[in-house]
Amino acid sequence: MTENNNLLEVYDLKVHFFTDEGVVKAIDGVDMNVVNGKTLCLVGESGCGKSVTCRAFLGIVQKPGRIVSGQMLFRQNDRMIDIAKMDPKGQEIRQIRGKEISMIFQEPMTSLSPMYTVGNQIMENILLHTGASKQEARERTIALLDQVRIPKPERLVDEYPFRLSGGMRQRAMIAMALSCNPTMLIADEPTTALDVTTQAQILDLMLELQYKYGMALLFITHDLGVVAEIADEVAVMYLGKIVERADADTIFNHPQHPYTQALLRSIPKIAMRREELDPIKGMVPSPFRRPTGCNFNPRCPKAMSVCREIVPSMTQLSPGHTVACLLYESNIKNRKEGEQA
Amino acid sequence: MTEQPTQEVVQPALEMRLPDTLLEVNNLKMYFPITEGLFARLKGYTKAADDVSLFIRKGETLGLVGESGCGKTTVGRCIVRAYTPTAGQILYKNADDKIVDLAPLDRKTVQPYRKEIRMIFQDPYSSLNPRMTVFDIISEALKVNKLMSQSEMEDRVEYILQRVGLRPEYIKRYPHAFSGGERQRIGIARALVTNPRLIVADEAVSALDVSIRAQILNLMEELQRDFDLTYLFVSHDLSVIRHICNRVVVMYVGKVVEIATGLDIYMNPKHPYTEALMSAVPVSNPRARDKGARIRLPGEVADPSNPPPGCYFHPRCRYAKEQCSAETPVLRDMGNDHFVACHFAEELTLTGVRMA
Repeated sequence: MTENNNLLEVYDLKVHFFTDEGVVKAIDGVDMNVVNGKTLCLVGESGCGKSVTCRAFLGIVQKPGRIVSGQMLFRQNDRMIDIAKMDPKGQEIRQIRGKEISMIFQEPMTSLSPMYTVGNQIMENILLHTGASKQEARERTIALLDQVRIPKPERLVDEYPFRLSGGMRQRAMIAMALSCNPTMLIADEPTTALDVTTQAQILDLMLELQYKYGMALLFITHDLGVVAEIADEVAVMYLGKIVERADADTIFNHPQHPYTQALLRSIPKIAMRREELDPIKGMVPSPFRRPTGCNFNPRCPKAMSVCREIVPSMTQLSPGHTVACLLYESNIKNRKEGEQA
Repeated sequence: MTEQPTQEVVQPALEMRLPDTLLEVNNLKMYFPITEGLFARLKGYTKAADDVSLFIRKGETLGLVGESGCGKTTVGRCIVRAYTPTAGQILYKNADDKIVDLAPLDRKTVQPYRKEIRMIFQDPYSSLNPRMTVFDIISEALKVNKLMSQSEMEDRVEYILQRVGLRPEYIKRYPHAFSGGERQRIGIARALVTNPRLIVADEAVSALDVSIRAQILNLMEELQRDFDLTYLFVSHDLSVIRHICNRVVVMYVGKVVEIATGLDIYMNPKHPYTEALMSAVPVSNPRARDKGARIRLPGEVADPSNPPPGCYFHPRCRYAKEQCSAETPVLRDMGNDHFVACHFAEELTLTGVRMA
């Protein structure tokens, strides 16, 4: 396991929310790995658990949610340590959160505090995680702001966030996330609130900085266009499970899971002629009433009767391409008998 | 009030001369005053829509695109007369082929047109009153316009609900019982119930997930065919616009920069801003990554209360020349339904959207 280049390995992660109405299985057995220096895109519709997954990596799952089981092995100084076992309020995770793994949030308007200057907020992170003096931290902050191409950084460092436009705020967020040279950057819908031309600027910037620092990027989005622009690898999520994972070209040009295929058919293609869109029938089921068997079976055009009975497991189709669908499982019969026995 | 603009002469290029035009907007201006201090001293104007001219043909879907703050929502709201424009004409041809200017009408006189021009809103959560039932929400416009009796209204609402793909039994439920996609269907039903001729859809699918978005887009196309509707589709999402629109209007800082057919605007843009916008669109195939370089626009969108002189786009335009900072370009007819506001539209060779 230490032979490969994985920065993060996740096995059977389960995060459940214990609400008054019942248990919501927001993440229900996720296996994944993030490779050093690569971009992994986590795609899915709202409520599929993509944001909760990355919150779990930082130990910031909100109540009443809890990590129920699973391992999250993170490479620190060539050792794999299990984040899932750490106390979310303890010292250990604080050494990782914000330093080794940092995060950019969706809303650049609400994720910066309006009460502190931009410089103050970035410096806080530097002072907390490195032994830098205030003067050094300030200089580093100005250098960082310059790096994310904020004009006149020495002046802007003392400005409050409301003086900045959405794109500029997101740049400041990126500067903050990079302040301690993280090995992994999690970006949760960082460009969703931005206009297309600003989005293009921010995506370019992120890829450039990733190349420069060699960090892994875990990019969460629902926008398949953005995925196609930046991803090395893609993981598609549906109702708390990863249903397909492959490199970007395979996902877009040879998708195998019916959900991935349906998702791609339902988006308007800009370079093609107008034709009727092919939406996915029905709706995402209520979190309290998940279907039996495969989660996607009520909406799946290729559903078989067995799909209502058996939960598919990850099947490897080719190296690096895995899919969780019974269409590709050869030993369904054996499994079915095994479960009944 | 010295800056108050005066009514200008209608530009001959865009007169309501085509027989099939349903709505024509001429030199529309919507200025919002900026005030300061205790006595609300006037400081200046935010020119949200500045000399906007466009026309909508009967039965077509016209797309209105641009980035946030470009004034596309303002234009939509002026057309449904949620705002009273500062200046300009909104010529509307009613069912009897009579042309009326909606812009100067007051609350009372605009009333008969409210049922003919309807709106669908962006956010399916905040646009429905949580304390009204589905019946109350949808029938409100019928009640206000005193169009029919109670029992007629019930039949009408049930029929409309069916047409937008909801079960008529839901009529007594409250909005919280519905998902985002279903709520948007209620919003569509509310717009449809008065038998409108023009619907202004302001970012109607932007808040929806991709699978639901496709359902709503298909529904809107189906309703357009069945009810003989005309749409003004306001959106920032260029792939949605490409899918649903016949023609597209591109706006930048309160001005129309280009109008063309869907295919033309994407493949053959003539304004440098449109070109930059097209190159920024993420193409949903990784194989398109290396096809053509993305244009990075320098700087930020101009401030609509203090725009640069000449062409508003010139500080960010890579083709800008001296003339661009001095003269404001007008929207010119280039033939083939293509209108551009750029001094050098003929000389520039611009590239369209990247292909996979």
